[in-house]
Amino acid sequence: MQIALGSINLLLGAIIPPMGIKIISLVLILFSTVNIESRPISYSGGSTLMLLSNRLSDSIYYHYSPTYKYSMGVEFVKNKPLINEYVNFRFTYLLNRNNTPNSQRNLYMQSGVSSNGLDNFFYGIHGDWETRRLFAGFGIKKTEAKVLNYKEEFLQLGFAPYVGAYGDLHTWLMIKTKKNSATDTSTTYPVIKFFKGNALFEVGYNNSSEWDVHLMYRL
Amino acid sequence: MKNLYLCCLIACSLVVLAAEESMHQMHDHEGHLHDTMVDGSLLKVNPVRFDNFVSKLTEAQVAIISVNGMVCDFCARGIAKTFKKDRAVTKVDVDLAGGKVFVAYKINAKIDFEDIKEKILSNGQNATNLQVIKI
Repeated sequence: MQIALGSINLLLGAIIPPMGIKIISLVLILFSTVNIESRPISYSGGSTLMLLSNRLSDSIYYHYSPTYKYSMGVEFVKNKPLINEYVNFRFTYLLNRNNTPNSQRNLYMQSGVSSNGLDNFFYGIHGDWETRRLFAGFGIKKTEAKVLNYKEEFLQLGFAPYVGAYGDLHTWLMIKTKKNSATDTSTTYPVIKFFKGNALFEVGYNNSSEWDVHLMYRL
Repeated sequence: MKNLYLCCLIACSLVVLAAEESMHQMHDHEGHLHDTMVDGSLLKVNPVRFDNFVSKLTEAQVAIISVNGMVCDFCARGIAKTFKKDRAVTKVDVDLAGGKVFVAYKINAKIDFEDIKEKILSNGQNATNLQVIKI
């Protein structure tokens, strides 16, 4: 959720009435949950709880995976600038997976609809390739809403500075580039990820949203 | 100063890699189960991890499962959870480096590779080989 809300308001201020700006801002924040793309599906019968916090919003996302092929989830979002709350209903499907002895490659389809109305929804794909040492991921997400349609894209590359064993603390150093068609901006920023056992902690920093903190626990 | 940091980093990396490589050579093999031949094949496992796994087991069968796609600790968690639901299973461990899952079964339990494949697949990975030893 790294949208520069102030910049959007300035950009659109001249052509859209204040109420419209508010709605656009809401929509952008509503669907800009780029961080929760990682580990979008659990093992069969498993579920995952994610907490996300940054300057613009706090959210709690819970998803359940009936099989390893798809997950269904509910995301509660508290929007800080607009001081309101809403819910996203999300669905993720594993389109393709390739397992090798030393790597895994995934391609996911993601979608969601907001409690603000059926005409507020998003869809997209995202993929990743991972070894124990290297990671590469990308995503394209298109959001359609009453007031604004826009597209988000990201590319993420990372490496593990050391290769830990099962049960150790694992660390990933990453760099992420994002582009948003609504603001016509792109940003690149560092991300560091730690995980141990069933818990994952990820933190990133960029000029727009400042700190992005992401916690995940696999139940 | 940057070059000094770089040299230190490379030196540390080489030390870590050398330590990992020599770990197996330094390990005392005598009487250890990781040297066991199963169906004409030597067990290809992390010796320390495997010997720790079997050290307190008695009257058990150990399934050594080769798994494709098990590249991440966080992703392998589901495998352990799935096997632990099986009442015939007494202990589970994962060797990420070797791409192996160790599962200890009760001595009289029937070990079915098709069932194991399904359990691994339910976590999104693929089981490719199974070796079983009795302890």
